[in-house]
Amino acid sequence: MSIENIKEFSYHIGWRNRGRHPGRHASTQRGMGMEFIGHTSLISYPDPRRIDLRQTIRDPMEQVYVRLFNQKSATPVFVICDLSGSMNFGGQVNGKHERKIRKAADIAESIARSATRNSDPFGFVGFDEIVREDWISTASFKSQRAIELAERLKEYHPEPVSGSGIADVWRYLPRERSLVFLISDFHMPLKELESSLANLLRHHIVPVVLWDADEYKNLPEFGITAVTDPETGAKRTLFLRKEYRDKIIASFEARREAIYKLFMQFDMPPFYVEGDFDADALTEYFHQFVAA
Amino acid sequence: MSFSHPWVLWLLPLALLPLVFQRAHSKSYSWLDMLPADPLSDLIGLILKILAVLILTFIIMGLSAPHSNQQLVERIGVGAQITLVLDRSASMDDPFSGTSDGIVGESKSAAASRLITQFVQSRKNDMLGMITFSNSAMYVLPLTENKEAAVAAVRATAGNALFQTNIGSGLTSAAGLFDKVPDSGSRAVVLLSDGAGRIDANTQQKIKDWYDRMHLSLYWIVLKQPGGLSIFNENYVPQEDQPLPPEIELHDFFKTFKTPFNAYEAENPKTLQLAIDDINRKEKKPIKYLEKIPGKDFSNLCFMIAAILIALLLGVKYLEVKTWKN
Repeated sequence: MSIENIKEFSYHIGWRNRGRHPGRHASTQRGMGMEFIGHTSLISYPDPRRIDLRQTIRDPMEQVYVRLFNQKSATPVFVICDLSGSMNFGGQVNGKHERKIRKAADIAESIARSATRNSDPFGFVGFDEIVREDWISTASFKSQRAIELAERLKEYHPEPVSGSGIADVWRYLPRERSLVFLISDFHMPLKELESSLANLLRHHIVPVVLWDADEYKNLPEFGITAVTDPETGAKRTLFLRKEYRDKIIASFEARREAIYKLFMQFDMPPFYVEGDFDADALTEYFHQFVAA
Repeated sequence: MSFSHPWVLWLLPLALLPLVFQRAHSKSYSWLDMLPADPLSDLIGLILKILAVLILTFIIMGLSAPHSNQQLVERIGVGAQITLVLDRSASMDDPFSGTSDGIVGESKSAAASRLITQFVQSRKNDMLGMITFSNSAMYVLPLTENKEAAVAAVRATAGNALFQTNIGSGLTSAAGLFDKVPDSGSRAVVLLSDGAGRIDANTQQKIKDWYDRMHLSLYWIVLKQPGGLSIFNENYVPQEDQPLPPEIELHDFFKTFKTPFNAYEAENPKTLQLAIDDINRKEKKPIKYLEKIPGKDFSNLCFMIAAILIALLLGVKYLEVKTWKN
């Protein structure tokens, strides 16, 4: 996917932010918006442009009133991307070899482009075993840096380390409530995930679950193979057969169920990406789960 | 069980390499915890490793050429341990004179060899050894059960003869053959000579001691010239100041043996046959003897097993997943 044809999606948030920077999202910030919220005296809000003559005349105390409006503000959008070993897994998508990390980079680019379109600042935080300072792009209204970083990410081969850095990611996010896309395959212990999510509750999290059909559905029908865990290096021999394949698929379905339950506990409906990333599906996601 | 090249066994630790090194073409999977435990897969993984270890073990074992040791089995038969002591002095090439059985001019050695060959072939469970002597003893054949070797040895004596007669050396060498062989209870030395030689006193004493200690009975067949001096002639009186002829002196010496002694005189092949038949009759006691069973070579077996295991491994390789590329 070249930079020219990055697909965008539209998103909105269901809460008011407090950002000063004008943007497109409902905000609690007073300012030059269209959203009328009440009157106050000219003394307390000395903006003569907003004098409400009708209200001023009606007041027997002969005070001068101004109208108050909320401006629309920008909301920081972050991508937190898993760079652990398991993200190096990649099956065949439409005949070409696509690793998960590449898909994550595509999604990050799409989010960056969409954030810029919505005049929101975009930031990127990558983590594997620790939060990777070299894979951080601070929130910025200019998305070029983030897109350049995502381009580099496409060719990145994750090191064979775990994704336990997710526990510290919250330190790298602003205090201000932000929209955070958490891109990972979530191949990590549920306990670890739960405690990490608890630290991220300040933000609006959209978990993007990257799974690959080759991990379970598209397993070979029959045969013997040896597999290596990219994070621990553990090796196992698998004798694939129908019975065992069914077991693996069942295990993944159970896992999907478990992750879904966990995310729903935190009120973060997960967005599944399996195969190609479809930006429109993400738009649909916001329409479905986020109240306008 | 022993090994022809035991030093190759030092390579055996190499067989553990498959346990140390993992399979190189392992595929990367995202998270092994997602794969439910499968005892069958684990078992197959284990078996594959064991197969690899076994293959290397068997190849190394095969290279070290294991074989079982030769075995000695005790058998009981009727026969004796007989050492033939044959005279190869030049006079043995002379023919018997005045033959009566039709074979004209058969030399003494040829007749002896012919008759002894029959003798050897008629005895089933004997152990036979052979010494020939002329100037000194010649070691021909140790005591063995191998009939073919004995017959071949006897035939070889029919050739051209050598110089003189040194009986003492022949007899001591014959006793030497019995030295390492367990006593079967029936041991004999058959001395076949024409004429005799003198044996010095030391050697006489030695021969006497040895034959006594080893329980060797002695049969002496003298191939006599017709009209020659008989060893059984008790009344022979030598001339003044002359020693007794060697034949008589030797006969007297042999008679002093504590072990059985028999002497025969043969003037022609017929009498020689009679003498040998007599020995044949006398030396028929049940004997215990050890039969050697050669060891077996197991290296080919090792290679076969390794080949079969490799074939198994290749079969597994064939089962290997090729469509799944990650």
